[in-house]
Amino acid sequence: MPRKVPNFCGRTRREFFWQSGAGFTGCALAGMLDAEFFAKFGQTSARPSDDEKWQNPLAPKQPHFPAKAKAVIFLYMYGGPSHIDTFDYKPTMYGMDNKTIEVKTFGRGGHKNQGRIVEPRWKFKQYGECGKWVSDLFPHLGTCVDDIAFIHSMTADSPIHGSAMLQMNSGRILSGSPCLGSWVNYGLGSENENLPGFVVMLDDKGGPISGPKNWSSGFMPAVYQGCVVRSEGTAILDLNRHATMTDSVQRKLLDTLRDYNDAHEALHPGNSELAARIASYELAYKMQSTAPEAVNLSQETEATQKMYGLDSPKTQYFGRQCLMARRLVERGVRFVQVYSGGAHNDDNWDAHGDLVFNHELHAGETDQPIAALLKDLKQRGMLDSTLVVWGGEFGRQPTAEYEKGTGRDHNAYGFTMWLAGGGIKGGVSHGKTDELGAAAVENKLHVKRIHATILHQLGLDPNRLSYFYGGLNQRLIGVEDVEPIREIIA
Amino acid sequence: MRILSHCVAAIVAAAVFWPILTYPSAFGQLQIPTLIEAEADAFFVEKVKPILENHCWECHAEDLEDLGGELAITSRDALLRGGESGPAINLRDYAASLLVKAINHDVIEMPPGEKLSKAEIETLTIWIALGLPWPKSEELAGPESQGKAELVTEEAKRWWAFQVPQRPNIPAVKNSQWCRNEIDAFILKGLEDRQMTPAPEASRQSLIRRAYYDLTGLPPSIEEVREFVNDPDPHAYEKLIDRLLASPHYGEKWARHWLDLVRYAESNSFERDGTKPFVWRYRDYVIQSLNDDKPYDQFLIEQLAGDELPNATPETLIATGFYRLGQWDDEPADPKQAQYDAYDDILATVGQTMLGLTINCARCHDHKIDPITGKDYYQMLAFFTNIRPYGVRSHESVLDASVQTLSRPGFEKDNEELMQKIAAVGAQIEAIEAKAKQDFIPVEHEEFRNPSRRNELVQKRVGKLITQEEFDQYVQWQRDRRELQQKLDDQRLPILCVKEHGPNPPPTHIMIRGSAHVLGDEVEPGFLTVLSPPQPKIDGPTARTSGRRLALARWIASPENPLTARVMANRIWQYHFGRGIVRTSSDFGFQGAAPTHPELLEYLATQFIADGWRLKPLHRKLMLSATYRMSSQFNPEYAAIDPENDSYWRFDMRRLLAEEIRDSILLMAGQLNLNKMFGRSVYPDLPPEVFAGQSMPGDNWEKSSIDDQNRRSIYVHVKRSLRVPILANFDAPDPDFTCPVRFTTTQPSQALNMINSEFMQTQAARFAESLGDLQQDPLGELVARALARALQRDPLPAEIEKGIAVVNAWMNDDQLSREQALKNYCLLVLNLNEFVYLD
Repeated sequence: MPRKVPNFCGRTRREFFWQSGAGFTGCALAGMLDAEFFAKFGQTSARPSDDEKWQNPLAPKQPHFPAKAKAVIFLYMYGGPSHIDTFDYKPTMYGMDNKTIEVKTFGRGGHKNQGRIVEPRWKFKQYGECGKWVSDLFPHLGTCVDDIAFIHSMTADSPIHGSAMLQMNSGRILSGSPCLGSWVNYGLGSENENLPGFVVMLDDKGGPISGPKNWSSGFMPAVYQGCVVRSEGTAILDLNRHATMTDSVQRKLLDTLRDYNDAHEALHPGNSELAARIASYELAYKMQSTAPEAVNLSQETEATQKMYGLDSPKTQYFGRQCLMARRLVERGVRFVQVYSGGAHNDDNWDAHGDLVFNHELHAGETDQPIAALLKDLKQRGMLDSTLVVWGGEFGRQPTAEYEKGTGRDHNAYGFTMWLAGGGIKGGVSHGKTDELGAAAVENKLHVKRIHATILHQLGLDPNRLSYFYGGLNQRLIGVEDVEPIREIIA
Repeated sequence: MRILSHCVAAIVAAAVFWPILTYPSAFGQLQIPTLIEAEADAFFVEKVKPILENHCWECHAEDLEDLGGELAITSRDALLRGGESGPAINLRDYAASLLVKAINHDVIEMPPGEKLSKAEIETLTIWIALGLPWPKSEELAGPESQGKAELVTEEAKRWWAFQVPQRPNIPAVKNSQWCRNEIDAFILKGLEDRQMTPAPEASRQSLIRRAYYDLTGLPPSIEEVREFVNDPDPHAYEKLIDRLLASPHYGEKWARHWLDLVRYAESNSFERDGTKPFVWRYRDYVIQSLNDDKPYDQFLIEQLAGDELPNATPETLIATGFYRLGQWDDEPADPKQAQYDAYDDILATVGQTMLGLTINCARCHDHKIDPITGKDYYQMLAFFTNIRPYGVRSHESVLDASVQTLSRPGFEKDNEELMQKIAAVGAQIEAIEAKAKQDFIPVEHEEFRNPSRRNELVQKRVGKLITQEEFDQYVQWQRDRRELQQKLDDQRLPILCVKEHGPNPPPTHIMIRGSAHVLGDEVEPGFLTVLSPPQPKIDGPTARTSGRRLALARWIASPENPLTARVMANRIWQYHFGRGIVRTSSDFGFQGAAPTHPELLEYLATQFIADGWRLKPLHRKLMLSATYRMSSQFNPEYAAIDPENDSYWRFDMRRLLAEEIRDSILLMAGQLNLNKMFGRSVYPDLPPEVFAGQSMPGDNWEKSSIDDQNRRSIYVHVKRSLRVPILANFDAPDPDFTCPVRFTTTQPSQALNMINSEFMQTQAARFAESLGDLQQDPLGELVARALARALQRDPLPAEIEKGIAVVNAWMNDDQLSREQALKNYCLLVLNLNEFVYLD
């Protein structure tokens, strides 16, 4: 029996209009409207009220089911931190330094069957009630382990930065699909229309490879793409008034513009897009004052600033990013991604050369700020509704990449990520790698399981959240249904 | 409930590079017992059945209406029959069985998530090796039908879009005086059937603006508008259309539509996002072809098989750059899979763009909606599988696999001096690099392979291994070499094009679940079964290619192909009227939107072919129709009955395209460089905030002269990972996939960009300066000139008053100078709705 399920590729009205270029009446904004609005609008010749004009594509939407988390802060450790040097304790490796062993690895240097062990370079200590072993790279984070669920059995499809980052951010190793933050905003909208719903903050050392592809909305409209927000200089591209323009000058410009546009619109009734464009200028104006306030850290107490490490040159930059992330989430931003590491080589976690130098640098910059973020969210009662995710595009190999030195190549066969808050269990560890950390052996989890878990905590069914494009119901998690990681959900 | 979803293939997730050896080693020790029938039955009941019960039946037996992968595990026969990925069991070679691979999580992961235990895997493997004993008494209720229902049924073949278009009768209408040509009869018939009447004709001012933008992407000058509005010639409009169709700017506008469809980009995406060499020649080819009104069938044949034509020319070779526009991962985790991802990308683009079908949905399984089988997909893919991949890792490999030079004989001799110079500079560059490399650690050698990283690595050695002077020279030499190389290239004529492995194509196999590592039956090249096509007529290999693509091209570009002409005629309609007669203009399959005017589409398709597949007669016909000339006048009563304007009771207003907006702004400012057409792409200056998103700020973004920066947007470099804000903001498509219909979004970031960006501030200043003497000329005149230029009409007194008032307020209240105030006024004008919307 051919089963022609009509809703199989059934589009939402919104997608239909975008796909089909419904022209003026079915414009993008109107495309966001539901059928009732359309009918109402079609029947009225009077101008809609101001409220109706701005149909924000990011207006909050109902989740599929009651959500545990309202917002996500994804701390992206670009380059791939070594799991066995951070949170995946491998006691039997100590004393094995430089020993050549048989082990299958696949990294930038290709497939190998043996290698020289690089013993973990840091000691591990037990922390918290759960007794989690954490390396000396993270003394501050160690104090938060009872709020964290560690996943030690992550796997990804590629051990190459370009494709692996695309997968961690967009679910696919190919280019062109919307990122996690785009999906979340598409599914839920944002709580604050005066701020972008998907914020990206970069390391001061630079952007990641592939740059904006990592926060692209792919085949979705640009309104869902990530917006880079800075703690210094211009907070958002083109947000600041030009040097020659004061508020009073700009206000006159906008008021007169509106006068002209209103007159034009009066001559062209029945074209909702004109009204939407008029309204969008007012929203832009509001953003000009809202966004700088959101990133203005001087409103924070000295104690808070200190907690995030703003008083130390080492931690101040990432500390600012973390503190901004909290402020943005507080103001209703749905998805914030903060990059630790930028540019190339040792400017990020990609420790091909000197492992100790590299990881001391990046852990040193982030340990205190991340711990502060978790504690700050908790003390403000925000941790329950904010899902914090930590990890990179893959982990690192137990063996050395080159003949000499401590550099480790990439490892997508097994690595660690952790989640905290937003309805995730604290003080648990899930999944295991082998005794070298070379590959996940117990409860092996693909990247899409993390994606599914994030969506699930936000009240979105990962298997239902779809977007019609190119003849297909596209989903972040791909073709096969995917379960969230129930073992770590509280 | 399991909710199925489609795949864009490629994503045979976890398996892609997972070591495949986990199970063969286990098989080494596998003991296959010999059992009598009763023992075999007992083996099933005691050993096998519990595993099936616990791990398989939930998805593969319980709900026969929704079987996972359409595979029923209900009986021996059902398993042998298999599901959408083909038979689950290979009785001759048990290890090759899909089920064995699946339970070992090789290529497919079954059960999904947690693997079965080692013992369970062993049991199932032995069961298969034994020949799959399954006693009759233990069979479950299975699907009614034996085998899969036929997808390509007679009924499917009768689908409207699969019939060769037939010229319809022109319908009779009551108000026949309204009709200017055949198109109007079809539209008016529809309106009359719904008791509606068309909107009145638009004003001449609206019409000329509409026509200019539609054909050239640029506005008319106010003088041209005045002349046209006052032209007593009753044929003034026809003459205008003919003049615009002959304009070289026509190709610059319409090429952009085609480039959207073929996902034109000038870089590869991924970590290095390298620039595609000489790809701009393809863009120029499209512009020139459109300006020449090249027949569309020929246009397609040249792009698909320009190299296989008996009379191939440089132009037809450049056309095959079509195959090189897609994304390319130069460092794929799974090279074999990546190669087929690239072929898939080509087939997806050909299918959707030229045939209006999502053939790509049948990569991993039969198409879920359309009558396209997995076999159809691979038969179509077989036309492309002899194409050499774009490159293998390095830029040099790209030059080898995808670039060819068209230099005339004797070229090398004539340019000996130039080539020697290039070699000499190259040697100097390498000498510095050799010095710097002395203390490279291994990882730096690795990094050095990427040309973009070299400067930084060499610079690190300043003061140690090399001097600052040497480094400065190094940078200068690189610039010199680039310039010399460009000079050489201007004569050497390197082009980006398709190349094949040779005359003998490799076999093409069906790939189980789209995995390049699990091969099914071999297939021969063939067209889509549901179209009842002829056998491909492959004339035989050429010296360098299989000749297959020419056979495909001739079939696609044939008047007998039911889809090609229809799909293109519909697109031309869409680009003039804002939406297609079929709104889903790249999907004419079962899930596509039904045509609002099916007979009109038939008419246009047949007329298009009758006109020799030429676009210009079609444009002319559409634009001379009374339908096109309707105004956008609103009618609340009609809006209530037909809110989407399906019946065309009025002309839909439209916002300008991103390129039209940018070009118009430059034109208003007197800055648009219209003199230069074609050539290497240009790089507008971008704010540092934009570059800051890159891992190497400014990487692969060159510095263009102001004259070049101010060229039309079609010539702006299209970099996959770095989009020009004003173009991206106004919905220029992401070039990773084909884009048949652009979004038209309205969002505050557009307003921020249009008011605050350096680009807008600069253009507003230029605009103001070009209005006259800002100190002396009367304010009213300056304001009127700005409005007339931007809106292409004479402004009303009240509008001028408004302008004077705000300029005065700025000068009086805010103490702005007259220039500053007028600059702000120009900025305001560029933000008017009337400036960016067409009536």
